[in-house]
Amino acid sequence: MSLLIRQLQVSLTQQSILTNQASALLQRVTSSLPAPLCRLAPTNERHYRTMPTHGIGRWKYLLPKEVPRKKRDKLQMKPIRGSTATEYGSLSVKVSGYDMTVVEHYSQYIHNLCNRLGVRVAESYALPTKSTEVMLMQEQGTKMYIDALLKTHERIVQISSMTATLCPTFMDVVLQNQPEGVQLSVKEHVERDFLERFKARPQLEGLMAQVNQRD
Amino acid sequence: QYTIFVEEHCLTRQSPWSNTVLTLHTSAPLRAEPKKKKKVDPKREHVARERLKKRLKKLEKVPPELIPIEDFITPTKCLDEARGRSEPRLPFEESERRALLLKEWSRFKHAQHTAEMEAINLALDAQREALEELKIESEELYKAAIKPDPLVFPFSHEGPCYTPPKPKYDAPDGKYHDITKVYTQ
Repeated sequence: MSLLIRQLQVSLTQQSILTNQASALLQRVTSSLPAPLCRLAPTNERHYRTMPTHGIGRWKYLLPKEVPRKKRDKLQMKPIRGSTATEYGSLSVKVSGYDMTVVEHYSQYIHNLCNRLGVRVAESYALPTKSTEVMLMQEQGTKMYIDALLKTHERIVQISSMTATLCPTFMDVVLQNQPEGVQLSVKEHVERDFLERFKARPQLEGLMAQVNQRD
Repeated sequence: QYTIFVEEHCLTRQSPWSNTVLTLHTSAPLRAEPKKKKKVDPKREHVARERLKKRLKKLEKVPPELIPIEDFITPTKCLDEARGRSEPRLPFEESERRALLLKEWSRFKHAQHTAEMEAINLALDAQREALEELKIESEELYKAAIKPDPLVFPFSHEGPCYTPPKPKYDAPDGKYHDITKVYTQ
């Protein structure tokens, strides 16, 4: 029995010595080769992101960013606000007159005043000019002759919201600085005013009428 | 061979292949029957409607254009190079005088502007104090004071004029003719 046990022990120790030697050999082998090649990489990781030459060929990030040029989109209307308990809703301040420079300067003044007082301005645009022909009756006879051509220029400053407490002061200042020959009118902004700026489309309207008639 | 009965009760023997343009081709069942509706009609109407809708969709895709404003288009007369003239050469005193005048004017406008801003601020402060006092007095009145006035708008006001209108002025007869160009897309 003891002989057998001693034999087993010897064989075991021999085996252990052998395995130790083998593992030592393996370690030496692995240390000699470059590390990444031998390492088992997981499937979703790429080798070269850790290399110092990563991203060596990139150049597009150096170019200035180009905004993609798209076709002129439909001019969106800024949302019209209604009046609340403390503020007025969307208002449009219309300045109209025969003298363009005066009208423009006055509208600019109103815009600057709004910016100073903290009133939010939605848009500031011009309406198409209206030409009026003044025809006078001839002294002798019934014929009319053209006397003058008057052009009415209009500028609109669209305010999105204004506190009711600020309104009287604002109106006071604006009226005090009103120049000669300029008519000021303040009213609520409606969608119809926005649609007035666009060209009339008789074709589209005709087709719409036809389609509605059919139905 | 078959016989055709005409309104005048005369028998005429005609072959079925001849053109019966002059004689009225009527028979008892045909006279009573209403006009037959063609099977193709609703389909044709449907097709026509689809065509209309397609055209409408195409037109709707095109965004509406803004009316061009004549103010912002320089007339071709002004772009003519030959109309330009060189700046006049001013004497030293004149240019000095002009520069000093500009400085005076800017000083005056600045003073005007500061005075205006001060007046506005004073008015707003006074208003704020008054509203605070009112709030202490009664909530309801304060809320009513803050509410926007619906009767204010629409509001319009004409600017002042250099000379007031003459009391008894006989204007010549005439009329205003609106010749604004109407743009269609």
